[in-house]
Amino acid sequence: MSTPLLTLTGIRAGFGSQTIIHGIDLEVPAGQVTGLFGLNGAGKSVLLKVVAGVVPTWGGRIQFLGNDITTLSPERRVALGMAHVPQGRQVFPSLTVEQNLRVGGYVLDRRDRAAFHTQLERVYEMFPLLAERRRQYAGTLSGGQQAMLAVGRALISDPKLVLIDEPSAGLAPAIVEQLLESLLGIRELGLTMLLVEQNIRFGLRLSNQASLLQRGRVVYSGKTADLDHDTLASYLGVGRLLSKDLSAGLKRTSRSR
Amino acid sequence: MQVIVVGLIAGSIYALIAAGITLVYKSSRVLNFAQAEIGTLSLYATWWISGEHGQPWIVGALAAIAISIAIGLIFERIIIRPMMTAPRVTVAVATIGLFTFLIALEAVWFAGSIKILPKPLNRGGFEVAGVFVSPSQELSLVVVAVVALGLAAYLRYTRFGLAVMASADDPVAAQLMGVPRARVSAFTWGTAGALSALAVLLIQPTVGALAPGAFSGLFIGGLTAALVGGLSSLPGAFVGGLLVGVLEAEAKAHLVTTALPGVQSVAMLAIVLAVLLLRPQGLLGRTA
Amino acid sequence: MTAGKTQGAGVPTSGAYNRRANLALAAVLFIALPISTVQAMPKLLDGGQWLILDQAAAFALAAMSLNLLLGYTGQISLGHAGLLGVGAFASGVVTSRAELPMIVGLVVAVIASALVALIIGIPALRLRGLYLAIATVAFGIAMQYSVFRSDWLSAGSAGIALPRRLWGEHYLTTDATDNATFLVICLLLLLAAWIVDSNVLNTRVGRAFRAIRENEPVAQSFGINVTRYKLLAFVLSGAMAGLAGALYGHTIGFVNNESFTLEQSLLLVTMVIVGGMGHRLAVIIAAATFVIFPFVLPGLKGYELVVGAAILMLTVAQHPEGIADLLTARHRPLATDDEDDDAAMPELPNLPLPSGMVTQRPGTGTVLEVQDVTVRFGGLVAVDGASLRVPAGKIIGLIGPNGAGKSTLFNAVSGLVRVDRGVIRYRGQEIQGMRCDQRARLGIARSFQQVGLAKDLSMRENFLLAQHQLASYGDVSALLMLPKAWRTEQLFRERADEAVSSLGLSDLADMPVRNLSGGQQRLVEIGCLLVTAPDLVMLDEPSAGMAPAAAESLAERLRDLRDKLGRTVLLIEHNVPLVLDTCDYVYVLDAGQIIAEGPPEEITSQQQVIDAYFGAAVTA
Repeated sequence: MSTPLLTLTGIRAGFGSQTIIHGIDLEVPAGQVTGLFGLNGAGKSVLLKVVAGVVPTWGGRIQFLGNDITTLSPERRVALGMAHVPQGRQVFPSLTVEQNLRVGGYVLDRRDRAAFHTQLERVYEMFPLLAERRRQYAGTLSGGQQAMLAVGRALISDPKLVLIDEPSAGLAPAIVEQLLESLLGIRELGLTMLLVEQNIRFGLRLSNQASLLQRGRVVYSGKTADLDHDTLASYLGVGRLLSKDLSAGLKRTSRSR
Repeated sequence: MQVIVVGLIAGSIYALIAAGITLVYKSSRVLNFAQAEIGTLSLYATWWISGEHGQPWIVGALAAIAISIAIGLIFERIIIRPMMTAPRVTVAVATIGLFTFLIALEAVWFAGSIKILPKPLNRGGFEVAGVFVSPSQELSLVVVAVVALGLAAYLRYTRFGLAVMASADDPVAAQLMGVPRARVSAFTWGTAGALSALAVLLIQPTVGALAPGAFSGLFIGGLTAALVGGLSSLPGAFVGGLLVGVLEAEAKAHLVTTALPGVQSVAMLAIVLAVLLLRPQGLLGRTA
Repeated sequence: MTAGKTQGAGVPTSGAYNRRANLALAAVLFIALPISTVQAMPKLLDGGQWLILDQAAAFALAAMSLNLLLGYTGQISLGHAGLLGVGAFASGVVTSRAELPMIVGLVVAVIASALVALIIGIPALRLRGLYLAIATVAFGIAMQYSVFRSDWLSAGSAGIALPRRLWGEHYLTTDATDNATFLVICLLLLLAAWIVDSNVLNTRVGRAFRAIRENEPVAQSFGINVTRYKLLAFVLSGAMAGLAGALYGHTIGFVNNESFTLEQSLLLVTMVIVGGMGHRLAVIIAAATFVIFPFVLPGLKGYELVVGAAILMLTVAQHPEGIADLLTARHRPLATDDEDDDAAMPELPNLPLPSGMVTQRPGTGTVLEVQDVTVRFGGLVAVDGASLRVPAGKIIGLIGPNGAGKSTLFNAVSGLVRVDRGVIRYRGQEIQGMRCDQRARLGIARSFQQVGLAKDLSMRENFLLAQHQLASYGDVSALLMLPKAWRTEQLFRERADEAVSSLGLSDLADMPVRNLSGGQQRLVEIGCLLVTAPDLVMLDEPSAGMAPAAAESLAERLRDLRDKLGRTVLLIEHNVPLVLDTCDYVYVLDAGQIIAEGPPEEITSQQQVIDAYFGAAVTA
């Protein structure tokens, strides 16, 4: 595989006097979807926020496309080619769908107006529903539509890397399925993504690289296809509830619990 | 009818202060207590340039606007920016500090003398419903209309304007879209400064002289207007301003007493309170 | 895999320690200080300086009063000077007109201000934030320009005198010793207020205040009567403000309407903010500093106010949390703790078990009956004639697409939205007219989609908050910290500690819940519900953001609630395996209407439900 798009070296971070990330090394290879999994409080979301630049690092280095971005502001990182689908979607409720997309393309629009309009058309092609509702206020969209908008808003800047934080949270199963289909389609285009997802079924199907976090450390990294049931059971506590559901896509070394 | 015309003119100026208050509140949930005082201190520049040194009014006015923008920007840079994650009441207290700072400077530098400024325009003016609208009042109506439409269009149709609106909805999410948070914050406070200067420049000919704290009523009127407008929309602020201007004119016309000088403002507040108790989100505010 | 590391096992209850430390500090401040001052100071200070110290004490009390309202309860008052004025004028009328001793004046001042505060608390029930601030400005201005100038109080700006007649004996205000004695009185009263304030903070009263500050719907769902506690906060604050105003009046000997202005109200707010909202000691220090500062400042040729304002701005910009920031030490750990437990496998979290005091409930009859309920928001019909029945001792699922009205239906049952039509019965009793907190006290508890916790409070405090309705002591008992209140609080603390450690989060117990991860917050929220073991538990997407392990534990706890304790659960959930595994019966809501119901295995095979909700999820 080629050089990684994003490299984290010895990252430490936390809040107040509480360390949450205890020295993490991670590589996000280009063209792959890397999933971060772990128990609650393992530090997945915080790590994503560190990469985004919303939570400051206490130590370590972040390299993105060959640049050291450790101390850059979130908006400077976006200008370098990062995009976000934030937790809870966070569309701008008092702006219309199209205005949301324009804000999403803020950097590109500034740099290259024509490229922005090309991207806008691409996103509308990808999500025809957004085109239909372009003048509707985002606050009045349903949860599933907001999820589409959040994804479209991230894609419009023609990013090199998209950070996705719990996209399926709070969505009905049918909508989750649709969202997964859209994201799988985007994966086919070769876009690099870094994903945090609690819905393990969703996360395992979307990602092709997986890193398991435990108490702020990476304890497993590898291809998602190589993950076996025991590893998941011991690090994530996948038990009776989900075993049956996951059995389809997983290597199974032994049947636990 | 006369009363209404008088009220609309005063109200249009309240609308400028209300727009400044609303802009800052919408984007940072902070009440800027210094909204009227920024312009008041800057107005001394107009007095110095146009009054003392005989330059045209417009030169002094532009200087006042520039100084107000500078005060807004400096205050944002030194005081507001370190407080991005601070409790909002605390930031409001910082603006109380700015208010005190500005009014204290006025008192130290200019206390004891009343300054006279030249009039903005000497020709023009017209009559409506038996009321003579003076040239400066005419100017203020035009300026307010231009500012209202211009600001609304800027925020809705330009890239940076939309970024400001997005930031008001959710500053962190906007930042994650690449919107430079510091520039949005600077824009907000710079614009608030400019609006403050405009309001003071336009109301000064009506009040007449310039003395420390001469326009304290302007802040109360503007704040009332912003509250009536619901604090969430600029159109609301402008409509609120006109409404408050008219209400106040009516109150002045019908509640003339010499015994209690404060009765008008108390009456105004009582009206506002009644409105708020019936519609806690303001007359034009949206329900959550 | 190594065995789970036990950590934070013996964390001591910090409550008892804090209380002792607080009392000791207070004793030093308010007892040692006056004794030493009376002994030594008369030689050092002249009369004018005593006057300044007296004023500092009065303002410290006033700032404490506002701190209770603003810092604890989150209710802003920009008219607090008006309350001080009520106290001062009341004491003035008693001491100078009726010629009664000062002590009577102080008592009357406290009562009068408390009553007036009760009245201005009423708009606070409806207005929030800035709007409340404006309402209190109106109160302050009305007092300043009208009431304090009225003939029966002071006839214009003539004002009223406040003699210091202690027990009927008349002291001259210029005498230095008398000023010193007066300072002792001020400090003793300040100490009394300190103790009451500290008791407020350490009991359910203060927790209710802070829950209201954080999130009113959440407070209500914990069974807190928001109306009552908001008014109580205003009354307590008013009482303290009245005392402060009267002391201030007796200090300077005379007040008129110009003594209590809007500027003074703003100054009080500034004192509280500069001190640090909610930090009693820091607020007192800030208040005293503000009073004393102008007198010790060297001559600045009129620039005092300019310099003062600049210092104020820079102080709040550098210390947005107030100078309290400087009183509490903070540290960021360096990169040394990283190697200790790298191989340790964390214990999978266990949701806390209900307390031992909880008894088994009879698993019979119908717990909740929703009959033909409709909820409208303007033109939008969110719930459209929905009916469902929740039998005792069962877990009932409520599923449906986003925006189907599930959460609105929850809000209707728990009392956060009004029902436009229909009947809701809880154990046979119609409850649709009841307040939210009344329903909570009947035994209906709920979780929220956006995590229903007081997020700026610690996990431990949230567990204490959750036990609000179990407390059997009254407010007076709380304010005086009578033995009953003390013992109950000890029990609460123990149970909170148990809950924290069963979640395996002891090391995070005193951190604001906001700093926990989303999934951890969810665990704490569910834990808070389980601690009181309510009769009907309503959970709104509890597993959203939960890792698989936690979801497994949740399923187990839900079954425990049902099987071991006979409790009833109503569950909104998108986690299909969880629903299928735990629920006895499932209702499907779409566009505000119940479109299907039945046992889970039947529901998943109905085409209508698959189309509306599951999509490909069940067939995959």
